[in-house]
Amino acid sequence: MKREWFALGIVALLVIVFPASLFGYQAWRTNSSDARVIDVIASSPENGGWSPDEIRVNVGEHVRLRIAAPDVVHGFEIPALDVRVDEILPGHVQEVEFVATRAGRFPFACTRWCSVNHWRMRGVIWVSDPAQPALPAPTFAPPLYQQLRIDIDAMHPAQNIPPRKPSAARGAQLNLRVDADFRTQSPDAVFAKLRADAAYDAYDDQQLWDAIAFAYFQNVGAENIANGARRYARDCAACHGERGDGQGPAGKDLPGLTTMHPDMPRGPANFTDASAMLGASDALLQGKILRGGMGTGMPEWGSLYTDADLWSVVAFLRTFTFDDPPAP
Amino acid sequence: MNSPRFELTRIPLFKRVVTSRWVPWLFMALTLPIFLLAILTGLFGTPAGSRNFGIIFVWIVWWALVILVMVPFAGRLWCAICPIPAPGEWLQRRALIQPRAGGKLFTLGWKWSPRLNNIWLQNISFLAVALFSAVILTTPFVSALVLLAFAALALGVSLLFERRVFCRYLCPVGGFIGLYAQLAPVEVRVKDAALCRTHTDKTCYRGSDDGYGCPWMVFPAALDKNTYCGLCSECLKTCPLDNMGVFLRVPGKDLQTTKGRRLDEAYKAFIMLTCALAYSIVLLGPWAALKETAYAVGAPAWFVYAIIFLAANLAIVPGIFLACAWLTRKISLHKFSLRRTFTEYAYVLAPLGLAAWAAFSLSFVLINFSYAWQVLSDPFGWGWDLFGTANWTWTPYFAGLQSFLQIPILLAGLIAAIGMALRTAHTQGVPSRAALPIVAFCAAFTMVLLWLYV
Amino acid sequence: MTKAALSYRHTHRFGIAASAVLLMLAAILVPLPAQAYTPRAHTLQINARAFAFEPGSLSVRRGDTVTLVLEATDTVHGLYVDGYDVNLVAEPGKSATATFVADKEGKFKFRCSVACGALHPFMIGELNVEPNLPFVRALLLTLVGGIGALAFFWK
Repeated sequence: MKREWFALGIVALLVIVFPASLFGYQAWRTNSSDARVIDVIASSPENGGWSPDEIRVNVGEHVRLRIAAPDVVHGFEIPALDVRVDEILPGHVQEVEFVATRAGRFPFACTRWCSVNHWRMRGVIWVSDPAQPALPAPTFAPPLYQQLRIDIDAMHPAQNIPPRKPSAARGAQLNLRVDADFRTQSPDAVFAKLRADAAYDAYDDQQLWDAIAFAYFQNVGAENIANGARRYARDCAACHGERGDGQGPAGKDLPGLTTMHPDMPRGPANFTDASAMLGASDALLQGKILRGGMGTGMPEWGSLYTDADLWSVVAFLRTFTFDDPPAP
Repeated sequence: MNSPRFELTRIPLFKRVVTSRWVPWLFMALTLPIFLLAILTGLFGTPAGSRNFGIIFVWIVWWALVILVMVPFAGRLWCAICPIPAPGEWLQRRALIQPRAGGKLFTLGWKWSPRLNNIWLQNISFLAVALFSAVILTTPFVSALVLLAFAALALGVSLLFERRVFCRYLCPVGGFIGLYAQLAPVEVRVKDAALCRTHTDKTCYRGSDDGYGCPWMVFPAALDKNTYCGLCSECLKTCPLDNMGVFLRVPGKDLQTTKGRRLDEAYKAFIMLTCALAYSIVLLGPWAALKETAYAVGAPAWFVYAIIFLAANLAIVPGIFLACAWLTRKISLHKFSLRRTFTEYAYVLAPLGLAAWAAFSLSFVLINFSYAWQVLSDPFGWGWDLFGTANWTWTPYFAGLQSFLQIPILLAGLIAAIGMALRTAHTQGVPSRAALPIVAFCAAFTMVLLWLYV
Repeated sequence: MTKAALSYRHTHRFGIAASAVLLMLAAILVPLPAQAYTPRAHTLQINARAFAFEPGSLSVRRGDTVTLVLEATDTVHGLYVDGYDVNLVAEPGKSATATFVADKEGKFKFRCSVACGALHPFMIGELNVEPNLPFVRALLLTLVGGIGALAFFWK
């Protein structure tokens, strides 16, 4: 009988203590940490999106997020707090720690293209300051397109189309100075102004366009273009295409394609379309990105991008109509 | 009949191991927590199958162990260490080690219906799992529910009926392990049949103070094939004359005779053959629509898939074989009924089927085995790293060499099948040429698999 | 059967087995006639979505230079080619490209290498590098082995 009890004891140990210790270990991992551990599940929006999609922390609190991806590859970013995880592989858990230094309501988002609804995968982190329960009032300046009263939903085709694609490299050799505010003026408007000016009569149309391309890139700088390129690849190319032609794989069946006004161009914007791009000022393009496409499937980026990020993406978009951008 | 065999139980250490009452308990005590972990990770772990212990250790590691190692080399060895019947068996015996006086079992003592004294229920349970395999193999939660259902069924049945009714009649895995165990080079058999005739107590079947009567409901004294011998070693313990032994033998010896071939076992062979082919096409082929249909359980297209899948298993492949058997019967001048011709030749498919399963399994096992290292360190996909292997990357092993392993395996299966087909003809006393239609069937099947793999 | 007949039969069987093995070796080793062929360069675009590669089958000839362009259309996918050890990872908006010389003939499965959901392990396509000599040899081997087995066991 003694050996029966021994055998039974071993079995009980293996069947009860072993599983219990597994769950115990997981609980210990959570509770033994000096940081506040928050488990976050990242699923594609059709599988539930972020869970939780609202995270509440305090200013100065040491927070550790444990992010799991049960379905496909996801990324995580709280742009305002400079917290990011570039890759969460399915079945893996990625941890990221941070201490929020200011109170506020900050959006977070998935940074990897996880499904056709990827751009809906967003959440909010509330950082409160126990000393100051009320959130600080947001400082808000209306975006430039509103100040300029640009109707960003209307078409603004260019009146003048360059004979060839303008080249900054050719423009650089002209030694031609172009003073223009590209944020408020479209390249087309800048061209019209130069063409009307007798001082530029010595230059043909193509040369003026080349000079505009050069001036534009000089103005925005290589760093901005490189930052824009990174963001474009991460956030835009899936729909607008790696070549900017609007033919990206994720843009093929957007909801807006069927419900949009019949007179509007269908599908993601084509940044290689000279008429549309040269007729648009930077303010207009920035407004589009900032506000989004209102039901077309184009998400708003105003809550995730800083102003500088928005302008840098606009600068990169110009490389689809102007050749030879400066290398960083 | 007197093919050479070597008695392993003559080796003192081996004999001590197989006659120890601790050894079966020890194996089950080891496999039980692993089984439990597979269920827990399935229920509570990550839904990403490739990072879930339950999926990887059941469908990659365990499966590879069973079909590539245990069944071909040791027959039903898995059945001897399987944790699923363990709780029920321990409850039946109310003992883990020590045998009850006279091998008494505590159950309601229900009688299993003689009409179900065959493996049709196993054929059905295997087909049921096979039909949903695209989901079961890839979804940890569903996989865990299936394992739980097996365990619950085994436990429940063991309280109602005596002995291992679940293993013998219900377990979806047990059916094909039994069929293919006949090919194994290991057997438990009587040492000297004459001695058994002098022993009227039949303790090997009825049990004794030293152990339980055959849990598999086989009469060990008359054992002549591995199909239903679970290698549990009770008969070695209950034989007072020390007349039971474990032997190394000629592989496939059980299939040299056509005695006692049955339609239910024949159908097992068809189901296994068809499933190996179906999986090779559906799961491993380049046709995505097929995979998606097999996965979309409940969708209209899935019902079409289900009907085709079941028809292939139960009617189409057996039907083609029936046509071959019809020809065979014609060639052998109608010596036997069509049913008998069909049934007896169907056993030829055992080596062919085992080879097909080995070839099919090799491809996905080698490709995905590296997941095993990851889930060892992080069984639930909770971000653990117990052994530092949690973030090892997926590395397909021998990725370009699979077909060079598959070709010789399939060829060996075919050659064994041809040998068996001719032997079946000879045993029936008909000319060799009668086996030609069956040989053509086997060759055609092998070539289809080669076309799929190579 | 007399002893002489039995021993004749044994010798006979040994002869069959030996010739079958020799013929099987020949099936593996015999040089197969090759057609003169000037290799080409291909650029093959593969679209990956859960859980399919489109197209699922690619065909090139041995010696061709193959450029695979993997474009993912719904989420992150990979493409690993068995035997060529090519591994690409693409995401919508970030396609991936690899160039290699198809110097081994035969059928090579390619499979998704980044977990992408339930059927990920079965997201498989195939690259056929023609002529598929391994298949031809496997068929020859099966024929020779099968006929050899028939002769060996025939009575």
